[in-house]
Amino acid sequence: MTELNSNSQPSASSTQTRYSFTQRVIKDTFTRWGARIGLAWIAILTVVAVFAPFVASSFPWLISQSGVVTSPLLEHLSLADVTLLMTFFTAFFLCFTQLNLEKKAIILIAAVIITLVAGSLTINPPKLSIYEHYRTLHQQGDVDWVIYPPIPFSAQDYLRDYGDTGLEHPLSKNDRRHWFGTEENGADVLSRMIHASRIALAIGFIATGIAMSIGIVIGGLMGFFSGKVDMIGMRIVEVFEAIPTLFLLLTFVAFFGRSLYLMMVIIGITGWTGYARYIRAEFLRLRQQDFVQAAISLGLPLPSILFRHMLPNGIAPVLVAASFGVASAILSEATLSFLGLGLVGEPSWGQMLNQAVKSSSFNWWMAAFPGGAIFLTVFAYNLIGEAMRDAIDPHLHKS
Amino acid sequence: MTDYILRRILLMIPTLLGITIVVFTVMASAPGGISAATLVDGQNLDPEAKREIEAYYNRIYGLDSPPAVQYLRWLNNVSPVGFEFDDAGDISGFSLTKGSDLGKSFRYGRQVSELLSERVPITLLLNAVSIPIIYLIAIILGVYAATQRGSRFDITSGSVMLALWSIPTMLAGVLLIGFFSNVQYWHWFPTAGISSPNADNLPFMPHWQSLGQAGLFGLISSGFTGLTVWLAALGSVTIRVGVFSLLAVIAAVLMASALPESSQSLSWTLLLPVIFLFFVTPVALSDYVILRIAYLGLFGLILGLFAALHYAGEGFISGFFVDRAWHLVLPVFCLSYGGLAVLTKLTRTSMLENLMSDYARTARAKGLAEKDVIWRHVFRNSLLPLITVAASLLPGMLSGSVIVESIFSIEGMGKLAIEAVQTRDRELVLSITLLSGLLTLLGYLISDLLYAVADPRISYD
Repeated sequence: MTELNSNSQPSASSTQTRYSFTQRVIKDTFTRWGARIGLAWIAILTVVAVFAPFVASSFPWLISQSGVVTSPLLEHLSLADVTLLMTFFTAFFLCFTQLNLEKKAIILIAAVIITLVAGSLTINPPKLSIYEHYRTLHQQGDVDWVIYPPIPFSAQDYLRDYGDTGLEHPLSKNDRRHWFGTEENGADVLSRMIHASRIALAIGFIATGIAMSIGIVIGGLMGFFSGKVDMIGMRIVEVFEAIPTLFLLLTFVAFFGRSLYLMMVIIGITGWTGYARYIRAEFLRLRQQDFVQAAISLGLPLPSILFRHMLPNGIAPVLVAASFGVASAILSEATLSFLGLGLVGEPSWGQMLNQAVKSSSFNWWMAAFPGGAIFLTVFAYNLIGEAMRDAIDPHLHKS
Repeated sequence: MTDYILRRILLMIPTLLGITIVVFTVMASAPGGISAATLVDGQNLDPEAKREIEAYYNRIYGLDSPPAVQYLRWLNNVSPVGFEFDDAGDISGFSLTKGSDLGKSFRYGRQVSELLSERVPITLLLNAVSIPIIYLIAIILGVYAATQRGSRFDITSGSVMLALWSIPTMLAGVLLIGFFSNVQYWHWFPTAGISSPNADNLPFMPHWQSLGQAGLFGLISSGFTGLTVWLAALGSVTIRVGVFSLLAVIAAVLMASALPESSQSLSWTLLLPVIFLFFVTPVALSDYVILRIAYLGLFGLILGLFAALHYAGEGFISGFFVDRAWHLVLPVFCLSYGGLAVLTKLTRTSMLENLMSDYARTARAKGLAEKDVIWRHVFRNSLLPLITVAASLLPGMLSGSVIVESIFSIEGMGKLAIEAVQTRDRELVLSITLLSGLLTLLGYLISDLLYAVADPRISYD
């Protein structure tokens, strides 16, 4: 691909500063409308996921009781919430700095670790969350004033203080406002969706990250050594490809139990073959090139040759695959949850779809909204992947 | 050629071994693993009976032996040649003719081979119906999109296909079954299974009370279809769009009024026309005649069938064939739209590559009609990736049928697979793994052979 693109290089570099191939691909990608729309949706989703407890929670932002102003919401933030917020803000500010990528990564990881350590010492939210506590206080008139979040229901708030709660249409005439209706136990669907967006995003990124790392290492070794290593590696790849992924996932989850982290690892373990194939093909081509030969003859250590010299030149096809991979990881989690093998307590989009099927009557809002969220997110990642594929396609650059 | 096929088949053996080892390792290394204790777990038994049952399971399935021994024993049972055991469990000899035995399912207590022979044909039926539909539509749309590159049609179909590809099967299935086979809304399709309970007593073909009724039925449905096809083929955009928009709105209002009393509301009467217009008008606007005729003709056929059932539906017996088809409509739709999207995109890309090639230019230069250039030259050369994809489509659809079968309660292999892993049914899980692995590998082999058929440059000798 580098040879092909070197033809179009002069026209690109004559007007602008020089970019590496991968940088150019990413820049190219986000000039396309599809990718921009996809990115916009994912950005919205990320913000919603990070600020989920501020957007949808039964605890008021601020409450004033006999002159004392407190924030129950902040008191109920968990360590995970705080870490997420910290990571988000650090990443946000790092975007505006001029540091190079490595330094940014180090600062980000350091921020996460510091928050985790400091947080685990200082943050201890109440063990028991009584969601209706502040509502009851409000109704009894024991408070001066109170500010609620835009969606004043937590994901697991079954509105027990209202008595006979259960299924409600979206915006049914009621003293409470449920934009997307409620599920059978009376919890707000929109609030559940907002909290579930965290799971979807985390699954997408971490599972793909794991799959990509395994794929890059195995594929890289296969491509670099070729010969026997390649032969054996390809047989392993074939074995994994011949097992229907969903079936392997089902077996894993059914036998190992239900845990979010396990699910991420499993989706990662079953999905690495595609990345391995791409990296292998790239490395088989790259290993013949002068700069790699030079690196080998300089006696550089293997990881340095593989990851510092070869990988940046062969990563573009993997990025395309990764974008589609995030989409399919989200779909995998949704499918597993839908088949009743997902998380039990916490809501996830697939689990909400499952709830819609399990209920005795068909309630469209329980299926359409979470399902629509899965669709939009998968569509967004696919749009980005598609734009990226067009960006690395040499055919399109010629014409 | 025979050499090559033999070699490939022999190479399948290590791969199949690998697949079963991976799955078995997963099962054996899980907490609890596969032991008699996990099988009886959850059943409310007194300890004495529990011990008895555990001992029984251990005796007949050998669950107390170490995992490696369990696997080897299973392997020996499955492979057509292997060791024979005497009653005490010692090796008594080596046999070349003992035949393979997939064992007995823990949960069903039946032979696995028997279970599979009931379930597999149903899954294969679903796939056998879907795959030709996928290929036909994908080729028609993909080829046209490639020839009209950059046009309105190309861009629209490209984004529609990407969107279709992103719709989770669960969502489509749940919404379809919820709206179209639920008594709360339109109870048009059956809720579960692939045939009615009394299907065995039905005649094969549909029947009417009298010949006149049958004639009327045919007349109404074909009349509607013919009319829409004629309208769809019209040259004038204004007439087309006007007529079809009107038809769509009328159909939508009728559909809204067909709702049961309890769920009728103004919002449906307002929403449905919008949805119908969204699905009908863009196609009426398109300048691709074949697409218009096929899509709008189908729309007319559906309308015609409804009208015919309404006016001439008395004494209509659906018959086995129509009954089966009726049960398959929603599952096949759910199973095929994703593959359709992938394949359309693939057809387009592979056509584009060939349309820009030198031989296509030569063919045009010597004065061939564009139709011949596309279908006789370019299309044939673009077939190769479509053939390769056929192999990977099959495993994809096998896993797709897991979801579809569980939504539509179809007793196929996918549903069996879920039940097997949920109940930790060792023999069943391993057999299903083996079978789906075998099908996948055979798919790869067949596609490689077809490759040689389609492209004379490739030879395996």
